[in-house]
Amino acid sequence: METDEEDVSRVVPFQLQFDKPVASQIKIAEWNPEKDLLAMVTEDSKILLHRFNWQRLWTISPGRCITSLCWRPDGKAIAIGLQDGTISLHDVENGKLLRSMKSHTVAVVCLNWEDDAGEEVSDGNFVPKYEDRTSRFFPPAPRAPRMPGLVPGETGFMDESENLSQELSNSSHQRFNILCSADKDGIISFSIFGIFPIGKIDIHDFSVCCPLANQQVDCKLLNASICKVVLSKDLCHLTVLCSGELQVPEHNLHGFHCLTLDTSIFYKRRNELHQVALQASNIEDLAEVFRASLSVMSKQWSDAMHTFHDKFDSLSSLIHDHGLDSTPQEEFLSLIGGARTSPAVHQFLVNSLGEVGLKRISKLVCGAGKELEVIVLEHLQPAAEMIGFRIGELRGLSKWRSRYQGIGLDETLISNATEKASMLLIQVQRFMRVLSSSVQQYLYDQDPVRRLLESTEVDNSIEVDLETMERVQELAHFGGFTDFDYLRRTLAKEFQQMESCFKEAFQMPFITISKKILCQNLLPLFPIESISKSASCTVPTSISYYKEEMHSKQHSFVDYISFILPDEPSSQLANCIVVMRCLMNNDLEAVLLCLPDGYHCIDLSLYKECQLVLLLNGPSSENVEKACMTIVQADDLPFASIPSSEASSPWKLHELQDSIVYLQMDSLKVRGIPHSVIAPLAVSASRGVACVFATRKRALVYILDEDEDEISDAD
Amino acid sequence: MASIVKGQSGFAMTPHKVSICILLQVYAPSGQLSVPFPFDSISQHNRLALFLIALTKVHFLRYLNSLYHDDYPAALENLNRYFDYSAGMEGSDFVPPLSCINNGRYEIALLTLGMTHFHFGHPKLALKVLTEAVRVCQMHSDDTCLAYTLTAICNLLSEVGISNITGIMGASDSHVSTSLSVQQQLFVLLRRSLKRADSLKLKRLVASSHLALAKFDLKHVQRPLLSFGPKASVQLRTCPTNVCKKIRLSSQLIHQYDNESSVVTVDGALSTSWLKNQRKPTTTLVFPPESGPESNCDAFYSWLQSSSVPGSVLQLVGSSYLVSATSWELYGSASLAQSNALLFANCYADSSSSADLALAYGKLIQHLAVYKGYKEAFVALKIAEAKFLSVSKSGILPVKLQLLHERALHRGHLKLAQQICDELGVLASSVTGVDMEIKTEASLRQARTLLAANQFSEAASVAHSLFCKCYKFNMHVENATVLLLIAEIHKRSGNGVLGIPYALASLSFCESFNLYLLRGAATLTLAELWLLLGPRHAKRALNLIHSAFPIILGQGGLELQSRAHIAEAKCYLSDSSISVSEDPDIVLDSLRQACEGLEALEYHEMAAEAYYLMAIVLDKAGQMEQREEAAARFKQHITALENPIKPEDPLVNLL
Repeated sequence: METDEEDVSRVVPFQLQFDKPVASQIKIAEWNPEKDLLAMVTEDSKILLHRFNWQRLWTISPGRCITSLCWRPDGKAIAIGLQDGTISLHDVENGKLLRSMKSHTVAVVCLNWEDDAGEEVSDGNFVPKYEDRTSRFFPPAPRAPRMPGLVPGETGFMDESENLSQELSNSSHQRFNILCSADKDGIISFSIFGIFPIGKIDIHDFSVCCPLANQQVDCKLLNASICKVVLSKDLCHLTVLCSGELQVPEHNLHGFHCLTLDTSIFYKRRNELHQVALQASNIEDLAEVFRASLSVMSKQWSDAMHTFHDKFDSLSSLIHDHGLDSTPQEEFLSLIGGARTSPAVHQFLVNSLGEVGLKRISKLVCGAGKELEVIVLEHLQPAAEMIGFRIGELRGLSKWRSRYQGIGLDETLISNATEKASMLLIQVQRFMRVLSSSVQQYLYDQDPVRRLLESTEVDNSIEVDLETMERVQELAHFGGFTDFDYLRRTLAKEFQQMESCFKEAFQMPFITISKKILCQNLLPLFPIESISKSASCTVPTSISYYKEEMHSKQHSFVDYISFILPDEPSSQLANCIVVMRCLMNNDLEAVLLCLPDGYHCIDLSLYKECQLVLLLNGPSSENVEKACMTIVQADDLPFASIPSSEASSPWKLHELQDSIVYLQMDSLKVRGIPHSVIAPLAVSASRGVACVFATRKRALVYILDEDEDEISDAD
Repeated sequence: MASIVKGQSGFAMTPHKVSICILLQVYAPSGQLSVPFPFDSISQHNRLALFLIALTKVHFLRYLNSLYHDDYPAALENLNRYFDYSAGMEGSDFVPPLSCINNGRYEIALLTLGMTHFHFGHPKLALKVLTEAVRVCQMHSDDTCLAYTLTAICNLLSEVGISNITGIMGASDSHVSTSLSVQQQLFVLLRRSLKRADSLKLKRLVASSHLALAKFDLKHVQRPLLSFGPKASVQLRTCPTNVCKKIRLSSQLIHQYDNESSVVTVDGALSTSWLKNQRKPTTTLVFPPESGPESNCDAFYSWLQSSSVPGSVLQLVGSSYLVSATSWELYGSASLAQSNALLFANCYADSSSSADLALAYGKLIQHLAVYKGYKEAFVALKIAEAKFLSVSKSGILPVKLQLLHERALHRGHLKLAQQICDELGVLASSVTGVDMEIKTEASLRQARTLLAANQFSEAASVAHSLFCKCYKFNMHVENATVLLLIAEIHKRSGNGVLGIPYALASLSFCESFNLYLLRGAATLTLAELWLLLGPRHAKRALNLIHSAFPIILGQGGLELQSRAHIAEAKCYLSDSSISVSEDPDIVLDSLRQACEGLEALEYHEMAAEAYYLMAIVLDKAGQMEQREEAAARFKQHITALENPIKPEDPLVNLL
């Protein structure tokens, strides 16, 4: 350990930026890809966002156990995966929840969000730039109205930053990106912009042709549990590391596997998918606004009417008790009209209400009507109109069959949805008219507004008179709706129908794309015998794709997969790290790195330019420094190619036993760490920093890249 | 009848007035149950004036006569007499009592006179009178009348193309610099009348001003009024968001109207607004049968129709949706254009004027013809003709002529097409003044007919003169169409090099006016022109077509779609890097789609072309059976084109 001390005295690599205590133990930490922000998840499932200078920006706790976290490629949002299978997006500015989707049923163990960096890989084909015309024709989209009775501060939704966060969740300005999420049960979901679900696969469904004992065997994975998924930078491949049993006759291949899925559909159809997702996710946003408006209106109106009926319901019994020969409606009108009423009713008026009270009630009802009108004019109608426009755009795309049928945009389904959107526009209009009339002459017994807002009623709840029906039927000849019953439906019902139409239409791309994600390769890596399944999930892994120049012009991505080989009692491979890389021609190479005695690898992370950052505990205890961090240049390692067939053992890594590389700590840049450390290790490739966490609840940030002085200057 | 009389409280009934009411009822469009009596919007005012003039011709002529002889008192007397019939002047409620009655009436009389002139097709004269009305209004500080007059002038300026009004307007209105173009003056006027109406709280006028501004924004680039200095680099584009905002503002009238007369605001008169609404239909409601909720349902619609929102408000709100439909036609969103027209026909059919309704139905019919084919369109047209039998046949007639012309062109009946063109030309300059829109339409169609007859130089000269006219009247949207037509003429005559600049010019017009659909068409023409220059431009042409495909396929009609498909197929065929025999489906798919559309349109010439191409591709792919089929269809269309069957169309005879 002399060398280590010498090293320290000579030149200390990886300058320590600071060493700060943390409140509780950190289990996940990720650097923002664009800014100097570090998102961390604590053991008690809080999310902390810190700046590089350790200034805390915000803390939120979603209330459920957080199992994974990743950043949106533009660094403006965080996706977190929860124990119950929900994925939620949070605004980087304030941690506010932007979206929440339940795309899984069990814990989301891994999230990976990649954007389309493959633009450099242009094949000379001109790609027409698609413009979303909506912002040119419409003012900004309406937002959901606030619920009455809520104090602005209460929800956190009403502050002025709302504009900003809406822009964030809006997909119009984003590059094409895909969020893929994997859960414990081996299901992987894909969504564009993290919003629009575009595919779902179960890795158990893939049947792989596996070379085994000199013969090809079809095999499937059983009880697989995913450890890590990473999408390549050009979106063409998905690497999945999982543990599970490979169902092969006469073998028990329970162990750790590496799957490569072909997701090139995302790359090939990225323009089409981008456009569809852009329109569809915006439509869903607008539908959300519509639904929120409906519920707010329904609440406001029912509150008002409730007050009204509280006061006036006793009127009818009063009339009955006094044996008057009139209806409540009649009496009510004469009451309001100030006509002479019977003594009993007059008594009622004076006692229970008084002139002032009567006025107050009518003011209440009118006020509610006004509020409703404002909501219709400012939220409901613009939303319906924009939905109509956007679905019209989608219909246009769906008619381009040669391009869009391939991604499942179905012309008839979209046309149905267009018609529904058009009906909704008419329904909104009708509602507006009913509302504006009923505010002025609200009726004692009837409440047409409420009836239009209700969706629970049976079909044909609204009678349509003959004249209107005739007109509707006549309009069918003019290209109107052939579904004559639409006027019988309530506004809420119509909205429900439209939504289900949209759902059906958007389900098609989802199914189509899911079918086009195929398994390319499956590699059984190493067996797991003693370790229970849950433990095997925690194998520290890191996957990264590096751009490699293949020919004069073409770039391609080489994926490096590195993981710590768990200590197996039966295996001779103790204290080893595996680095694998997959070349363009699908040739697989790997190298086993054996750590010196006394060192124990805690976590590892691939850094830029094929460098591998290792976080090690050790060496022995007599030293002041209990841990260290080092960088290995991965592409300089002597990779040995893994033979694809004629293997004696099904486990690929057993082939490499002869070519173990022993890591020489002296020849590497090593930074000693005065505390013993735990996972995770958070490395930021763009900023050149690494954050490690000590067992004694401390966070240490090191600067990996000595050249980048401006980062320390900036603080 | 009785309901009308009862409904109008506030002025004494005379037998004379009742008879006018009866006549009004006769003249009123069938859908309109209660004629809005005191005119409360400009458009109603116009129509009412027209009705009244029709029935009090004598008064009117006498009044005109005296007016022309500068006998103002006599004119005024006559006009006042005529005014007695029209009874109400909503706008003049606020006339200060100190100005003598004669003065108060004088400007209103002038306003009416101006609008009458306008109706009878003398826009210059009308403008003169209205300018005078502005002067008188200012003199008497009658703001309300001024607001109405300004709106009337705006209406006039926006509807009638006047190339030069500097001499008239500039004289009276010192604020409007004479150097400004008509459009700019119109814009200034619109803004001013909006402001005035806003400050006077004339809500209907505000809404209609918003609508007029939306119409203006639709077709005009917002140019800075003073175009010098560092701010001169303002983007020269139309602002569709402004149009959208203004249309929304004007449709908010329905809400503002409630404010005006709701129970809350009219504080003391709590009961009156209730009682006012207890007219005929509510009788069924006041005493609802005791049979439970079912019977309440019956009342739902009748109750809605009896809504207390006045007809004029609904009419204005409804027409905002029509403007919206027009805007979407221009901007290129077929679905929204159709749904707005449908919305109007569904919700505002009974409260709008029959001219508006005819316009909406006309739009729907045209939509059908363009997107579904002629068969369905003519069925719909027949129904519409029966529906709008007497009152406003003019609303449907141009649509019918357009359809007939289009079909004649497609079928190759060029003589008939020419005939219909002439009819349309006659329609353009009827008694009620020159309708610039139809006039341009007529000459555009004439040029297209000539083009179809391969008379290129004649077609070009018609198109050229049309371009000059559009330029003179600042009709930029039409300019883009005409430029595209010239490009088409060059394309058909095989002169690609000459056509390209016209197509590009049309493209840039479309860009700045946000005319996406037309831009798609122009891009397609440009691609076809490139393709004309030789197969080495096939790639460029294909890229152009593909860039326009989402718009063309989504928003364009059958003809445009089919043209794009054929052009795409041609690009593939002439592109040497693509082997059609290996992958015939990329070409065949688009050709099949083209054929579907062209069959529906009975567009023989292009259908023949599509089948011809199809037969070639199938031949290369070795699918002989299908090739024979395509060849047979090709032959069929060619014979149909060469020997047009005598048009035995009952609709033609109706002309």
